[in-house]
Amino acid sequence: MRRVAVIGVGVTKFGRHDRSSGELFAEAAVEALADAELEPSAIQALYYGNVVGGETEKQLHCGPQAASILGITGVPTTRFETACASSHAAFRHAVMEVGAGISDIVMVGGGERVLNVPTEDSTEYFAYASDAIWEQPLGLTFPGVFALVARAHMHKHGTTEEQMAAVAVKNHRHGTLNPKAQFRKEITLEQVMTSAKVADPLKLYDCCPFSDGGAAVILASEDVARSRKRAVWVLGSSAASDWMLIGDKPDLSRVLATERAAAAAYRQAGLGPQDVDVVELHDCFTIAEIVATEGLGLFEPGMGGVAAEKGWTSLGGKVPVNPSGGLKAKGHPIGATGAAQVAEIVTQLRGEAGPRQVGGAKTGLVHTLGGNTATVVVSVLGRE
Amino acid sequence: MTLKSFFEGARDGRLTAVRCTACGGLAIPPKEFCPACGKRGWQAAPLSGSGTIASYTVIRVAPRKFAPEAPYALAQVRLAEGVSILGRIVDVPLDRLAIGLAVKFHPLVRGDQTGIAFGPA
Ligand SMILES: [Zn+2]
Repeated sequence: MRRVAVIGVGVTKFGRHDRSSGELFAEAAVEALADAELEPSAIQALYYGNVVGGETEKQLHCGPQAASILGITGVPTTRFETACASSHAAFRHAVMEVGAGISDIVMVGGGERVLNVPTEDSTEYFAYASDAIWEQPLGLTFPGVFALVARAHMHKHGTTEEQMAAVAVKNHRHGTLNPKAQFRKEITLEQVMTSAKVADPLKLYDCCPFSDGGAAVILASEDVARSRKRAVWVLGSSAASDWMLIGDKPDLSRVLATERAAAAAYRQAGLGPQDVDVVELHDCFTIAEIVATEGLGLFEPGMGGVAAEKGWTSLGGKVPVNPSGGLKAKGHPIGATGAAQVAEIVTQLRGEAGPRQVGGAKTGLVHTLGGNTATVVVSVLGRE
Repeated sequence: MTLKSFFEGARDGRLTAVRCTACGGLAIPPKEFCPACGKRGWQAAPLSGSGTIASYTVIRVAPRKFAPEAPYALAQVRLAEGVSILGRIVDVPLDRLAIGLAVKFHPLVRGDQTGIAFGPA
């Protein structure tokens, strides 16, 4: 494998937009091309993430559509769908294309639009990421999956609802520092604890919002990237799966796909959790951040809640997690999320994150989880 | 065992797993290859239907078609034979739900649809 670097990133503001997912992606792609100082004709392939376009926009075949809107038609395009991990899965495959020497410059991105439909409908579409025969007919929802994880974690480790709430408070505080975040206001522990119940024990403020948005990153081979001072290197990128059905998962307090993908990504990078300076991870629900910090090896099993409560994962803490505000405050346009997380870590490693900068960050980790915990992608990035 | 025969049995109150003829491992729902030994030989294995709640939630914000039923309880149920499955919990007050609570299989029949559910043991 050749070495691969990220040489350009772009992200839209997340939140409510009156534009299509393709237009949102294109805005991010234009920003990424400018950041990389490249003409669009330099792009040799497009790897694209989108999840519910078929439902909310009646749109399939989103890859060539995205390329067409951008005006780079002709290049190979593929739409990736691994639920919420879609554009991070796209990223991993694009890394392999560049690493394998097939292309020198590849764009990865995603776009999603869901706020154009009522919440009852988006809740149903997101539930399509659970099994259609065994789980959807029971009325399982996406928050419901993580509520089951939360109960199991509380039972096994004594994790509390207040510790989960601390994740929301922290990520909202970080979000105030990110001009592209959907929510830019602090919230209190009290507000989280008294917010409406969604799927016990998860409350409204334990859940990330529905969001529209787009993100794009540009990958390049070592030959192209070597002379660029702001290049950030892909040290490892790995994916893993787990049983699709809740019933088949042996221990709901753990996300085995996270543990597997992290182990492989660390091995590729020749690094371990102790080497990571900054993390963007998949906090679709507050408990998801707690379980991910454990699965990534940042904290011992059962210590994820304690870490959030004690501020170890805050900006200025031992291992800052989700300086962007995370999915919780930055927003979660599902098909764009993975690419947006990569963009944040690249920005951090370049030292360009402004008031949310993690000082001296040299190694960053990106973790993206798909739907019912059955897909996880982990990448480790570093600067020279 | 086909999905059709599984759900026909479930409708009549019978919960059925499959047992690996090579290693004796159980699976529900059926799989092509045994997760334990990788072999592909199965025979139907009727389950007692008895189990305990391994984790649970109460869904309060539901997809459109389930909204009239909310709030409703879902649980991962560990069956006495060792395998687990997701099901609705019915006829148990929501404030009595607990990990470890004993429950018993109870088909959830809606028209020609049969769902997995558990009621009081
Ligand atoms: Zn076997």
